[in-house]
Amino acid sequence: MNSAFYLAVRSLCWHRSRSLAVIFSLAVIIWLPATLRITLNQFRSEISARAVSTPLVIGAPGSRIDLVMHSLYFRSQPATTVTMAEHQLAAESSGVTAVPLHVRFTTRSQPGVDGAPIVGTTPEYFTFRNLTPQSGELPALLGECVLGADYAERSGLRTGDTVLSAPRNALNLAGDYPLQMLITGVLARNHSPDDDAVFTDLRTAWVIEGIGHGHQNVDRQTDPTLLLSNEREGAASVTAGLAVLPYLEITDQNRDSFHFHGNTSEFPLTAVLAVPATERDRVKLLGRFSGSRQLQCISPPQVIEELLSIVFRIEQFVLMFTLAAAAAALLLLGLVLNLSLRLRAAEMQTMFRLGCSRLTILRLQSAEVLLLLVSAAAIAVAGGLLARSTAAALLQQLLL
Amino acid sequence: MIAIRDLRFAWTDGPFQLQIPRLDIVRGEAAVLAGPSGCGKTTLLNLICGILSPAAGLVEVAGTDIGHLADADRRLFRLRNIGLVFQDFQLIDYLDVLGNVLLPCRIQPSVRLSPALRERGLELLNQVGLGSFSQRPVTRLSQGERQRVALCRALLLNPQLLLADEPTGNLDPDNSRRMVELLLQESRRSGATLIMVTHDHSLLPMFDRTLPFLQYLARTDGTDAGTSA
Repeated sequence: MNSAFYLAVRSLCWHRSRSLAVIFSLAVIIWLPATLRITLNQFRSEISARAVSTPLVIGAPGSRIDLVMHSLYFRSQPATTVTMAEHQLAAESSGVTAVPLHVRFTTRSQPGVDGAPIVGTTPEYFTFRNLTPQSGELPALLGECVLGADYAERSGLRTGDTVLSAPRNALNLAGDYPLQMLITGVLARNHSPDDDAVFTDLRTAWVIEGIGHGHQNVDRQTDPTLLLSNEREGAASVTAGLAVLPYLEITDQNRDSFHFHGNTSEFPLTAVLAVPATERDRVKLLGRFSGSRQLQCISPPQVIEELLSIVFRIEQFVLMFTLAAAAAALLLLGLVLNLSLRLRAAEMQTMFRLGCSRLTILRLQSAEVLLLLVSAAAIAVAGGLLARSTAAALLQQLLL
Repeated sequence: MIAIRDLRFAWTDGPFQLQIPRLDIVRGEAAVLAGPSGCGKTTLLNLICGILSPAAGLVEVAGTDIGHLADADRRLFRLRNIGLVFQDFQLIDYLDVLGNVLLPCRIQPSVRLSPALRERGLELLNQVGLGSFSQRPVTRLSQGERQRVALCRALLLNPQLLLADEPTGNLDPDNSRRMVELLLQESRRSGATLIMVTHDHSLLPMFDRTLPFLQYLARTDGTDAGTSA
């Protein structure tokens, strides 16, 4: 058999263009359906794991899928918000831990680095998701934040640096201003959407939204460069200079000046994660919100199951077409191999006349086909491994 | 070396029948089969080397009744005892010069490629002046060099019988003559019996003996085979 492989290798190398074309065609035929299946399985298990670990989500009425995508993956914005009052309602239910979420802003994009969602929440979220700092510590004061591992890596930011929020509308002068937050730590990677987010406390998120604010003293006493004109002493007519920061920054000096207007119970949240201690608590909570028109309480595993059933149907559809394409490609490959054998008929006849048996000739041809298949499979496996590390994340980005 | 008795062979799609009552070729003899193209000379070579089996009669090569050997034995016998040189030489393009010479060791599991055989291949190439070309692709050889490689391949396993099927078929007169000289020289050096098929009558005087091939042909329709062939 060694001689058969020797001759096969020499022949394949001699006809290298044809061999490479066949190998890559075969590799694609093997790689495409296999990778599709592996990637979707990985996507399915990752998305399911996150959903299973999140028993209930309370949010404004609307798309259930959007609410799950928002509260679990920080994607898509709910059209309307809920309030702290709803959080209180859930938190007052016996045996329920309620974790408020406010995810309406992102960090400012830098060249080559997209902004990450800013998740305003309470310390319970870190406990619930088993998030611990890899460096530094969790935010404790207003204006502090902690970064997910992936975002820290791609932005190059570290503990002690600052990060700016991105305003939703730069032309809305009365609306939100960018807030410069101090990074107090970077979370350990936990292979979830938390890795690509920035976490701060709820009050900081509200400051970004413009609900809370501090005051910067714009007068000549504190900093003469801040004031452009103050024509009437004692009057409110003050013109700020260019040195007045175009963003908010919460420092030790001005932290105490920050305050909130309005009733805290009416402050917005985008969702509330509810973690009942027992099945009974879960059912009670579901019952409590089942009749509400202002709220919905949903079970993420159920919603994700519905989403996955759609993905599964698409997968079957794609797989069917892929297999049809593979069958057509295999037929073409068979034709190529058949034509190739015909072209080499004289060579086979020479071997036959020299004393080679038909079985040996078959063995020579089989060795070639085997080498083509093994090479193609090796490339397909390498491609599959490459795809495995990137495709699931890519798919998650595309689908969620 | 070759003893043929009462041989009969008929083509299914032609009017000719090969009939050889008696033919003996002694060891070391250089014989030539001459006749026009397509008259059946190659068929006789195929009967002698066991590629074809006779309808009747005996074909004995080196004391072995080759016509009655089992297929696998016949192939092995052919590989070990008979060297074949084909028209156009039929070299394998994807093998280098030495690879082509050693080809008989790669197509028959019972004939292993040993260091001794590799040495023998190189020695044969040296003898025909191609020692320095052993790693060269055969596609980069001249016609004369290719014929020498084909001859080395035929001689690798020290065959007792060398069959050359119109090796001068596509060569000009000068190269034809050189090819025959080479065949005669190498077969004599190795002590092999040589039978060459040709339709070039100018080459016949170079051989010990010309076989009366046309006498072996008979028409199944009763007309004279010699005038038709």
